[in-house]
Amino acid sequence: MPWYLYLALKQLFPTGRKFPFFTAISVLGVSLGVALLVISTSVMGGFGYEIRRMIVDTQGDVQVRGQGLVEDGAGLQARLATVPGVVATTPFAEGVVMLQHERKPAFPAMQGIDVNRVSKVVPLERFIRAGSLDELDDDSIILSSKLALSIGARLGSKVEVTSPLVVEKIKSEEIYLPRELRVVGIFEVGHQQLDSSVVLVTLRLMQELYGLGTAIHGVNVKIVPGLDADVAAARINAALPPAARVTARSWMEANQDFLFILQLEKNMIFFLLLFIIIVAAFSVTSSLLISVVRKTREIGLLGALGGQPRQVAACFCFQGLLIGTTGTVAGLVLGFTTLYFRNALVEGFTRLTASEEVLTRFYQFSQLPAHTSKGDVVLIVVCSVVISTLAGLLPAWRAARLKPVEALRNE
Amino acid sequence: MSDAILTARGLRKSYASGDRRLDVLNGVDLDVAKGESVSIRGESGSGKSTLLQLLAGLDAPDAGTLAWAGSADTGTKRRATFLGIVFQSFYLIPELNARENVLMARRILGRLDAAARARADELLAKVGLTERATHLSSQLSGGERQRVAVARALMNSPQLLLADEPTGNLDETTGDAVIELLLGLCAESQTALVLVTHNAAHARKTHRQLFLRGGSFAHG
Repeated sequence: MPWYLYLALKQLFPTGRKFPFFTAISVLGVSLGVALLVISTSVMGGFGYEIRRMIVDTQGDVQVRGQGLVEDGAGLQARLATVPGVVATTPFAEGVVMLQHERKPAFPAMQGIDVNRVSKVVPLERFIRAGSLDELDDDSIILSSKLALSIGARLGSKVEVTSPLVVEKIKSEEIYLPRELRVVGIFEVGHQQLDSSVVLVTLRLMQELYGLGTAIHGVNVKIVPGLDADVAAARINAALPPAARVTARSWMEANQDFLFILQLEKNMIFFLLLFIIIVAAFSVTSSLLISVVRKTREIGLLGALGGQPRQVAACFCFQGLLIGTTGTVAGLVLGFTTLYFRNALVEGFTRLTASEEVLTRFYQFSQLPAHTSKGDVVLIVVCSVVISTLAGLLPAWRAARLKPVEALRNE
Repeated sequence: MSDAILTARGLRKSYASGDRRLDVLNGVDLDVAKGESVSIRGESGSGKSTLLQLLAGLDAPDAGTLAWAGSADTGTKRRATFLGIVFQSFYLIPELNARENVLMARRILGRLDAAARARADELLAKVGLTERATHLSSQLSGGERQRVAVARALMNSPQLLLADEPTGNLDETTGDAVIELLLGLCAESQTALVLVTHNAAHARKTHRQLFLRGGSFAHG
């Protein structure tokens, strides 16, 4: 090992000293910065990942929508089935209805689904908490969990559904009676908004409630795993004739504003927390500068023994690198350990502050999500190590500039 | 002198002192032969340490020439192998133990092998510190520290050893022992020695005694 690396190691971890205080403080500063970056980017990534998963799980990879109604839903699906990369399709119709149970009203978004095809595109069964998707027929309904709770409905309950069609009926002086439906299932996605404002019925029932005839609003599409959703949407748009008056949009395109905000938030948090590492790097610089001043005569001695100025500089630069590397590794361990226990920590905190429900309502998720991407970890590691190494440059430059004769004269 | 280890001719050095320049050395000539020991005495501020720094190549003279074993190459790389230096303040590296401090002289050359480790152990044995080899400098007495510094200076088997008041921080008995050790080891390895000292008794133990006054040597 070159002498300057050896000496750098010895200065950080002196012989016979179990706890090198200066080294520990410097490493701790860097590791706290790295840990915070890992935790925050992972949690932000977790939000993004959960939202993405939820969108894909409830809407499919690609959604094809008409500018108005799609009259020939079967024809559209047949055409979509010929597009390379399309695995399955399922039609849908949607709209807002008024729903009542024991005089408790709600105004959820109603989704009409094709019970026979929907599972090929979105894994709805996975979200059914009570009842079964198989029991859904033209006289029944599946409620989202929080909605069911808010109106006091449970499995077997009867709810009354009134669609906006009632306005047309009143205009033409026809009698319109609300449709009575039996609750055959309760679903829960884990997202506050979806779990409190969505109900599912059969496509036929939705078409009837909205007077659509055989028309639909669009088709959800599942694509081959690994195929980019934007590429699939482009292929579909190219395959559909303009006369069809339908447009395919990937889940990313359909939610691009939301995803952009999410990414922006993540980038801003990364940028702000990076300053913690920069502040820690300043403390490393300060400590190493003190070390250079304290060791002026030793630096002079090294020059007298034949050490080159660039080797003396490397000795201090390497200390910055070593502090950065050790701090980064410790920070990764601390960060991932905290992430592992995140839900227990959040649970403890919310229990202490009695804020569990507020947290769920505000952040939409019942559990704190975390998703760490390799790219984020690589970026954090590179930033941390580079900044810490740069922190050693100024002390290194000072040390290299010292002339042995002047350094040895220093008292 | 054919076997001259050190040849200095007309060395001059001055420093700025306010608006004036202070002439410290006014044309110093010095020859030191292989295995010879030379002492340099002088009053405080007479330029002894400045001369030693010039002889060690740590500082450049304003005028004059310097040659080590006939070569004008007095650069950092050659210094590492040609000469050893012992300072008044020991200058041991506090993070290293005695053995590691001695080995540092060889580490800087980048040749740390089993022979080097054996050499370090041999030198520590010669300076009587085998038992203290793993002690940090803070755990050693002043005399022991200076003995480690002597061993370090001799680690690369230099042809010339420069000692700048090596007993200045030691009591009389310890100082005497260090000088005996220094002279004995130099004589044994035929290493030339230039000893800067205030102590007349120590100076008398060298082959030749020089006295620095007014920036040049006055024989005395």
